[in-house]
Amino acid sequence: MANGTWRIARRGGTQVPLVIAAILSVVLIVGGKTHLLPIERIRTGITDRTAPFLRTLNKPVAAVARWGGGIGHLLDVYSENQRLRQESAQLLQWRNVALALQDRLKHYQLLLKAAPDLSYTTVTARVIARSSQPFLETIVLDVGRHQGVRPGQAVVDARGLLGRIYAVGERTSWVILLNDLSSRVPVAIRPGNVQAILAGTSASAPNLEALPQNHGLKDGAQVVTSGDGGLLPAGLPVGVAVLRGSEAKVSLYADPLAVDDVRIVDFASPQEQMPKPSDGELPRPTTLAPSSPQALDEVAAPRRAISVVTGPTSRLTQSHPPGPSNAVSVRRTPTSPTISSEAHPRQPVATEPPPQDADDQ
Amino acid sequence: MSPSSLIAAIIPVFSGLLGVALSNLPISLTAGAVPAPLLAFMAVYFWSLVRPDLMPPAGVFLIGLTQDVLAGGPPGLWTASFLAAYALLDRQREAFASLAGVGALLGFALVAFFSCATAYVIACVYFYRAPPMMPLLLQLAATVLCYILVLPLLNGIQHRLIGPLRSEF
Repeated sequence: MANGTWRIARRGGTQVPLVIAAILSVVLIVGGKTHLLPIERIRTGITDRTAPFLRTLNKPVAAVARWGGGIGHLLDVYSENQRLRQESAQLLQWRNVALALQDRLKHYQLLLKAAPDLSYTTVTARVIARSSQPFLETIVLDVGRHQGVRPGQAVVDARGLLGRIYAVGERTSWVILLNDLSSRVPVAIRPGNVQAILAGTSASAPNLEALPQNHGLKDGAQVVTSGDGGLLPAGLPVGVAVLRGSEAKVSLYADPLAVDDVRIVDFASPQEQMPKPSDGELPRPTTLAPSSPQALDEVAAPRRAISVVTGPTSRLTQSHPPGPSNAVSVRRTPTSPTISSEAHPRQPVATEPPPQDADDQ
Repeated sequence: MSPSSLIAAIIPVFSGLLGVALSNLPISLTAGAVPAPLLAFMAVYFWSLVRPDLMPPAGVFLIGLTQDVLAGGPPGLWTASFLAAYALLDRQREAFASLAGVGALLGFALVAFFSCATAYVIACVYFYRAPPMMPLLLQLAATVLCYILVLPLLNGIQHRLIGPLRSEF
């Protein structure tokens, strides 16, 4: 067959399938972006089935990495031992100080009737795979729906927040790391409690975005989760702020390349429950002409009071009638600076403190 | 179709799928510093030039889709990138197929660069921001270097299992 002939024949043979395949790939991209395609389910299904293989394969890899890293440490094992002993003694002292401060904090919380920290439990998991692809910072864990893992849960290592669960299979789950391009986590920067969004950039240090103007951020400021949105618990350590010119970045505590075991924080912020309205608070059908003067008196009668503190020496009291009437009577009475809200009583919150690590005992 | 010819027909696509599986193993010889090479792309490039009749667009689509699913990135990213490279090879097959020695390696590097550039553009659109180029450039470099090692293997498969003759297209 002459060259010119086969070239034309080949073009005619591949053009249509190529165009169809290109259209399908665009559909894939759009479907993936809009989450219309069950790509995550397919992924987790594959990792569920290959998990034993990945686990087996990961063992020699981890052993080789440990062995390779161990050779370097053999040379300075004595000085390392001395340094660790010294550090251990210092940490024991700090532990005693921390326990004393924790007791004192609990005492103050009781005195102030402050809402204690929300409680949460954790699930321990092992890393069985790490992505080594551009545009992607993920790890795969050996626990899934079967162990109670759900999308959105925080994943921490011994040092701090590592990322969030984003796809869950029966026995495996995918974690999106903090430096992944898709990662956005609300954080607070201490001191000052400056609120910001931690945005992954595929680099090792993610950016701090949505910072307020004149934030006064300084190098080395502590970055923790803010708990906004109720998905992640507040106060999980994330890293320290690093200022590079006009950019604010975060040097993360957690190291996804070195970590083998992680904990998944089973946390769900309890939703604020509105008090159930009483029968008197529900709107009644309006009548254009009351049937009797007695009905008018009933509508105008006060049923409940909301007291709001306005200053150290006065209390503003509003009396709401329960009916359709919007009449409000206001009177000032001298009183002490107390707060009371009879209409919206505070909901009780879980009182157990976060569980401590076995290492901390 | 005889069993041997059937096996020969599926080897190119199978080698691409094997490349996908190997690329996505949780093993990194560089402790994660350099992304895994695109082994699947090597198969797509090689068989698209040598036996395009055994590497149809549907085969490239399947390989790209498998890469997307196993890699965990945006769906369709590598599918579209591999197909873009395939379309380029389809139009310039004679030019690339006639290259030899260092020229053949440069030809591969050029098409791999085109594929990675397509992936980068798609990632920019997908994430609404420009991701850092360095990981992709490192992956490109690793892919080109690995192609030197993989090329004799692919040549061996072609000569021993599929047949020495170039396709009639």
